[in-house]
Amino acid sequence: MTGAGVGLVSLDGVNAAALKEAARGITASHRRLSPGVSLWGASGIFDELAVAESDAGVPSARTLVLLYAADLSFRLRWEIQPALDEGRLVVAVPYVTTAIAFGQAAGLEAPWLSALFEFAPTPAEVHAIETAPAHHVTDRKGFVEFAWQRLEARAGEVTRLEFMDRTRRHLRAATRRASGRDTNRPPRLPRRSSRPLR
Amino acid sequence: MSGVLKHFHAISFFVFVAAIVTSTSLNQKLRRLARAHFEDRSRRRGLLVAFEGPDGSGKTTQRKLFKTWLKSDAYDVVTTKWNSSPLIKPLIKSRKSIHVLSPIEFSLLHAADYRHRVERVVLPALWEGKLVIADRFLFTGLARDVARGLDFDWVLKLYQPLLWPDLVFYFSVSPGTSSQRIAATRTPSFYEAGQDVTAIEEPAASYERFITRVIREYESLALIFRFITVDAEQSIGDQHREIRRLFREGEERPWSDWNLDAVVEWLAMRGGARE
Repeated sequence: MTGAGVGLVSLDGVNAAALKEAARGITASHRRLSPGVSLWGASGIFDELAVAESDAGVPSARTLVLLYAADLSFRLRWEIQPALDEGRLVVAVPYVTTAIAFGQAAGLEAPWLSALFEFAPTPAEVHAIETAPAHHVTDRKGFVEFAWQRLEARAGEVTRLEFMDRTRRHLRAATRRASGRDTNRPPRLPRRSSRPLR
Repeated sequence: MSGVLKHFHAISFFVFVAAIVTSTSLNQKLRRLARAHFEDRSRRRGLLVAFEGPDGSGKTTQRKLFKTWLKSDAYDVVTTKWNSSPLIKPLIKSRKSIHVLSPIEFSLLHAADYRHRVERVVLPALWEGKLVIADRFLFTGLARDVARGLDFDWVLKLYQPLLWPDLVFYFSVSPGTSSQRIAATRTPSFYEAGQDVTAIEEPAASYERFITRVIREYESLALIFRFITVDAEQSIGDQHREIRRLFREGEERPWSDWNLDAVVEWLAMRGGARE
């Protein structure tokens, strides 16, 4: 990490174990900031999806990204924003960049993906963890692995490793872009301020 | 730079360009296929008819009458209802029951439900030349989410690639009529009454406030997207006769290229050019 670093740190990648390890490293070295970790799936959406009846149908990449955004909105409301409001450091594992990279690897348009996540505040720092995907099935607990398992039946001739490589390429490019942008930009919450409800 | 490295970069570049060319030509092939399929005049093409309107506008009654009439006219009819994907509906239902959805989560989950139904029910039926009746479509998401205070452009993006119905019947009622009809049959649920955004404890009072906003959004959408407005304060019989007449006028409309992106994405997803 760079800087004094109170704020939101985005940790992105395809290997869930490596992401958690990196998160532990960050929290261990910033104890004075009472750091917290926000993990994908906190809303329980993906647990429920994992046990859905097989005849309910397979979600597409677009559906999975919409669900990821719903889960992230939940994490922001219940985990990330409250901790930031208390002045704590929050490590989001993963955050927006992983979902965008996954979506691009699956063929979704980058502008649509960026617009979808406009509600998420820009992190103070974005780190891509380059570790290759896990070999052992029991270690495959990241969002990209989860989503890949759902898409696999439809993916044609693309293998798991090719898809992971494609995701990692997009992740590297997105992280480079994120590192170069103004991280003080406030989130563009999708809310009309000019029309009060009450 | 070493020769090997230069060579490697040249190969990488070639693979990159080849991938773009392949995906572009596949996209063009699928676009041609979709156009040819939907513009083929030798067979009845798939039609998408949406029934939109606030709760209590009588659109479900009209949808059922319409379906019965279409079946008698040898149409192969498929119905899809709002928030009914077997995969996503349980996720929404469990969260609604404990009132934990924020407007953004509410919006995103309904967009996911919609997308899953478009891919699993609507597009396959249209491709097979069926007539799909949607009891609420993306305009329901737009009207409700914008009434909840979300930005119109952002919500519209959630529903991209867009799939425009061939006909949209909008059942127009006043907020007072909608509130009276709902109050006569049941107490509106927490989200139906918009209690998540009005902060009014009494469901009926909250419903009246919220439905006023929803109807205002619907009426803007009706203008922008040229809905066919049905006066839902008329008798059931008069409405049904009007719907039949308007459907006959509209069923020969040519297929819209606006829907090309949605169809191409679906074709690519199901493995390309399978007729």
